[in-house]
Amino acid sequence: MDVWQQFIILLEGVPLTLSISIVSFLIGIVVGLPIAFIRVYEKEVSFVVDAYEKIFRGVPEIVLLLLFYFGLGPAFPSTFGNAFFVAAFVLGLRSGANQSQIYRGAIRGVGDEQMIAGMSIGLSKWRAIWHVMVPQVFNFSTAGLGSEYALLIKDSAYVYVIGLAELMKRAIELKYSANDVVTPFVLSALLYIAITFPIAFWLDRWGNRRKKKLGL
Amino acid sequence: MFEFLFNPMYQTWIVQGLILTVEITLFGVLLGLVLGTVLAIGDIYGSKPVKAAISVYAEFFRGSPLFVQLFLAVYTVPAILNVRVDHAVLAFLVFGLNSAGYQKGYMKGAMETIFDEQMQAGLSVGMSKIQTLRHVILPQAYRIVIPSWTNEFCSLTKSTATLSFVGFMDLVGAGRSILINNMQILPVWIVVGVIYFVWITAFSKVMDIVYEKKKIPGVELIMQ
Amino acid sequence: MEARHIYKTYGSKDALKAREGDAKTCIGAKSVIEAAKDVSLQIRKGDIKLIFGPSGSGKSTFLRCMAMLDIPDKGEIYLGDECLTIPGVDLNKARARIGFVFQHIYLFRHLTALGNVELALRQVFKLSKDEARRRALDALTEVKVTDCVNKYPSQMSGGQAQRVGIARAIARNPDIILLDEPTSALDPELTGEVIDTLRDLAREGKTMLIVSHEMPFAREVAEEMIFYDEGTIVETGPPSLFFNAPNTDRAKKFMTRIINRTTREEMNV
Repeated sequence: MDVWQQFIILLEGVPLTLSISIVSFLIGIVVGLPIAFIRVYEKEVSFVVDAYEKIFRGVPEIVLLLLFYFGLGPAFPSTFGNAFFVAAFVLGLRSGANQSQIYRGAIRGVGDEQMIAGMSIGLSKWRAIWHVMVPQVFNFSTAGLGSEYALLIKDSAYVYVIGLAELMKRAIELKYSANDVVTPFVLSALLYIAITFPIAFWLDRWGNRRKKKLGL
Repeated sequence: MFEFLFNPMYQTWIVQGLILTVEITLFGVLLGLVLGTVLAIGDIYGSKPVKAAISVYAEFFRGSPLFVQLFLAVYTVPAILNVRVDHAVLAFLVFGLNSAGYQKGYMKGAMETIFDEQMQAGLSVGMSKIQTLRHVILPQAYRIVIPSWTNEFCSLTKSTATLSFVGFMDLVGAGRSILINNMQILPVWIVVGVIYFVWITAFSKVMDIVYEKKKIPGVELIMQ
Repeated sequence: MEARHIYKTYGSKDALKAREGDAKTCIGAKSVIEAAKDVSLQIRKGDIKLIFGPSGSGKSTFLRCMAMLDIPDKGEIYLGDECLTIPGVDLNKARARIGFVFQHIYLFRHLTALGNVELALRQVFKLSKDEARRRALDALTEVKVTDCVNKYPSQMSGGQAQRVGIARAIARNPDIILLDEPTSALDPELTGEVIDTLRDLAREGKTMLIVSHEMPFAREVAEEMIFYDEGTIVETGPPSLFFNAPNTDRAKKFMTRIINRTTREEMNV
């Protein structure tokens, strides 16, 4: 199999890589953003939230993937038996834990005065958060979010262990089918870089432009 | 459910797996720290081509998954160079090189937080740039960088879980080996997960305490 | 051993790198600031001279050029007989003979007061641990901060920190001490202790070149005052000249403003 053919095979794995990372990222926002605000504004942090963050910081993603897919999969075939579900579940929650850290830093960066200003015009605490804090928090988080998204793209390689035919798995399969240990890995490395590089770059610029516009 | 834990053979696998994981992680972050410092200094003081090379290095190691880099190191590099190299050496190296790519960024950020004023102060008392770097800037940078370094440590540990897929007997590898003969999938992974969790959390806690003691009051790394 | 310290500086068109913060109207505009236009200054051993003038006039930059912390674009700087602006000169050795005190202090944050003063003694002069410690303690005693000897910068007040900065500068027994607005960054109540220290140093006959706004101090201690505005030395003379009847209009305007403000401050106190 020549280089071009291998490249095509690898390229066909990219959509799956991207969809895993995008879905996980969105799950991360949905989970991480509320948790960040809860931890900042509701001081009684429930034990569950704390445990959640600790677990996803302290256990390798691969172990979690193997645990849920092979451990719980047989018992719950439609959810944990589905590789994509498990991938999105594990990476999404992991991302949520990371993103909650990012947002907490951004909340501190935006500052308390904004909250106070919001409440002074009559908004309730949670409405103030939604209308005043959230938009600004996103502005402050672009750098961190950019790197988190790049991280998700790279970590999507982990789902190879549960059998999804994304980029990493295809590269490894080519090692055997094409008996080639050079091309598949070099090409896949370059493909990953090609995907992660622009994102970090654009998010950086977008963040800088918005900050300038707001005079920060 | 957890009877497998009492099997001495499995116990050996688990312990050895943990040892390998710990070894590779520590080697990786420490090599990464040293190399990262060198790269950071090169990035601050180097000529344009040097900076460009460092940039490419960092982009490569931070832009692709460690998983892929591991395959590259263990399979591709020996094939290209046509030499037989001990896989363990390659694996240890690639973790260090990868970590250096990230730590260069952290060290550079830490140094830049204090660089201008402390370099001036150092020069003003007659020290050379190198002396100032060695006695003033780096000592402070190493303290500022501790939280990021701890983060990098956690990250790297989790990445080592890929080792069994290139033929090493790490903790995950122990789990997979146990599962060949054992039908209890969930308990095995729970145990493996718990071991990682304890290791990572304990180490982080220790580093947090170290940071509290060693940190420079009023100076924090400005995350980029 | 009467060494004569002769500084001759001809700094022409010493263009400071762009300071974006200053250009408030055009964001990102790069304005070239001429900090020193053909400036010459001589200071001899035992002299105490004070440079003053409006902010942004380039006084601090000029002072740093004297210490070769900033490199002048054109002109020469001499320390004694040695010319510092020739390429290939060992600047580190030269700077070891110059004591510099920064406006924002810039202590080494990871070292105690003692450590701050000792560092150069050990690394540059290669003194033994004991010898360095002795000299450092002497310097710290001279500036009267012995109670801070083992404290870290974050544990000191601004006044104490700046005095440690002065100790750090004098511990090497430099040929000359340059001070860049030593009190400007301090709270008003703390400036007194620093000024007292400078007065002591003056009385001991140290050679000092100070950039400062502190007019009462200037009147008392400086032998010569130098009015610096927009990159050039406008007028020089003894304090009595400036406080009674400056020659140039610019100096006159500046002095009236300063004296009014100082009188108002003194009246409030």
